[in-house]
Amino acid sequence: MLTQKQLYLTKVFIQIFLRNKQYIIFSLILPMVILGIVAFNDGDEDPIDIGIIDKSNTILSQQFILRLSENNLFNIIIKNENSLKDDLISGKLKAGLVIPNGMTAKSRTADIKLLVDKSDIQFIQTIQPILNNSLLEIERELTKAEPLFILSLEDIKSRSLSYINFLLPGIMAFMLMNLSIAGSGFNVVEFRRRGILKRLFVTPIKPIDFVTSIVLARMAIVIAQLTIIFSFALFVLDVEVVGSLLTFYFMIMTGILMFLTLGFSIGSLAKSQESVGVLASIFIYPQLALSGVFFPVESLPEFIHPFAALLPLSILVDSMRLVANEGLTFFELYSNFIGMVLWIMIGTFISTKLFIWKEVAG
Amino acid sequence: MAIIKAKNLIKTYADPDSNGKKFNAVDGVSLSIHTGEIFGILGPNGAGKTTTLEMLEGLKDIDAGSASINSIDISKNPYKVKEFIGVQLQANEYFDNMTLSELLNLFSALYNKKNDSLSLLKKVNLSDKANSCANELSGGQKQRFSIACALVNDPLVLFLDEPTTGLDPQAKRSLWDLIMNLNNLGMTIILTTHNMEEAQNLCHRIAIMDYGKIIAEDTPRELISKYAPERQKEVVSGNMEDVFMALTGHGLRD
Repeated sequence: MLTQKQLYLTKVFIQIFLRNKQYIIFSLILPMVILGIVAFNDGDEDPIDIGIIDKSNTILSQQFILRLSENNLFNIIIKNENSLKDDLISGKLKAGLVIPNGMTAKSRTADIKLLVDKSDIQFIQTIQPILNNSLLEIERELTKAEPLFILSLEDIKSRSLSYINFLLPGIMAFMLMNLSIAGSGFNVVEFRRRGILKRLFVTPIKPIDFVTSIVLARMAIVIAQLTIIFSFALFVLDVEVVGSLLTFYFMIMTGILMFLTLGFSIGSLAKSQESVGVLASIFIYPQLALSGVFFPVESLPEFIHPFAALLPLSILVDSMRLVANEGLTFFELYSNFIGMVLWIMIGTFISTKLFIWKEVAG
Repeated sequence: MAIIKAKNLIKTYADPDSNGKKFNAVDGVSLSIHTGEIFGILGPNGAGKTTTLEMLEGLKDIDAGSASINSIDISKNPYKVKEFIGVQLQANEYFDNMTLSELLNLFSALYNKKNDSLSLLKKVNLSDKANSCANELSGGQKQRFSIACALVNDPLVLFLDEPTTGLDPQAKRSLWDLIMNLNNLGMTIILTTHNMEEAQNLCHRIAIMDYGKIIAEDTPRELISKYAPERQKEVVSGNMEDVFMALTGHGLRD
């Protein structure tokens, strides 16, 4: 049962937060801008400019160029040798194709050169199969050969999911992590440094009153901020959510509790405001990179996957995504919930072991 | 009747100058402070004054010895003791973006009390600052506000840790007046100071501390008569601060 003291202190923490209007505005604007940009550009990727020198100028070479032009991924620009080289060096073009002399159906294998920056591995991996495929299709047309296999995709969920559906839970979870860590770890260290904590503890409040109030206040603040972002995505950007909102918010609340306890641990480990910043960076940045906030974890090297799956942010992002996009119920997500509860236990253990309340004040 | 009793208080810390060794910041301090007294703990920096006070306030664990306020054991019931003591700390920092009135309401709520913040501010001569934030106050005003915060629970005992350090003569004199007024209303006051004049003018009794021990304890008059060299026993009706106050105008600014 909550006491009057806890409720009053909770009200004060919320009041202090609401008076920091600059922080509120900036913490909401950035996610909204990112989501807005993605939503208004969803699915329509900008085509890649490819310069082509056609030394053959035959029907076959023109057919090849036409086939590439039909692909939405590419924007084909016919070039001469000098301007292609200049544009590649200056970075105006990312790739160039040189069709050799004498590309005809009767000639021997034509050696088409792809000019790229070899260090741009991801880019090469993207366009090389498409170019190969275009060449293969033309070859089949000429040789009248029927393909032996065709791989066709069928959406079993009969629902269109786009990048914004993937991104929204990721951004919300990342925001949740930052707000919770800032609200517990940073606040505690700052209050301790300035002697505010000591001032509070000369009154008859107990550590549990202080922690309960911070948790309640942050819970309310983070839920309110996430609801603003979520409503913006639902009603302005028209993002579709298929799962239960109750389950979605339950996962959010568990996530807030998890990051608040982990934030308290960071605050307990850190002796100064500088070290809390460093510790928080060590905690936040690997998760930002490895937890699939902006890109699927599958795009990371395979040996990282088991480690990435254990990270608190990964568990939260995964849970929120599975509820929002796949409609999974709480019972189908019990392993994720257990994972978060384990992190809450770890955070509580570290912060209660290391946070010496008597000396915290001094 | 003694409202505060302390017997052989010890607080031990690791010695920062030698690896693994420990030292007693407070080394066997015994005190008996009477109801309605202004009791001063006088000593240089590092003598153990603040640590002694913080043990009595329940902010620091008592490593050895025992202490009670109003017959309640501090080690066993620190939260009970905190209900009827008021504490003014050396550092006076408060939450940002909160007015003095709001802060007083907060501190009152932490004692499950409701107070008229304006009347509390009036008591410390800050009623015109009710809607100001703490960081907008001068040093003297901050000290007076921190005393107002310490009064929200109408305490039996008020602890003041170096209340006038860093204040100009006028602000110092204004704070002395406030302390004496509170004492006249029956409040027991324990203060630490390293200002000899403050101890002499304000305190009914003084304990002189050095290296964690009390080396002398008595009324200022008795201490002077026992320990001061003959020439210091001359009665002087004023001092340089009085001259300064008379010249610059008493109570015109804080």
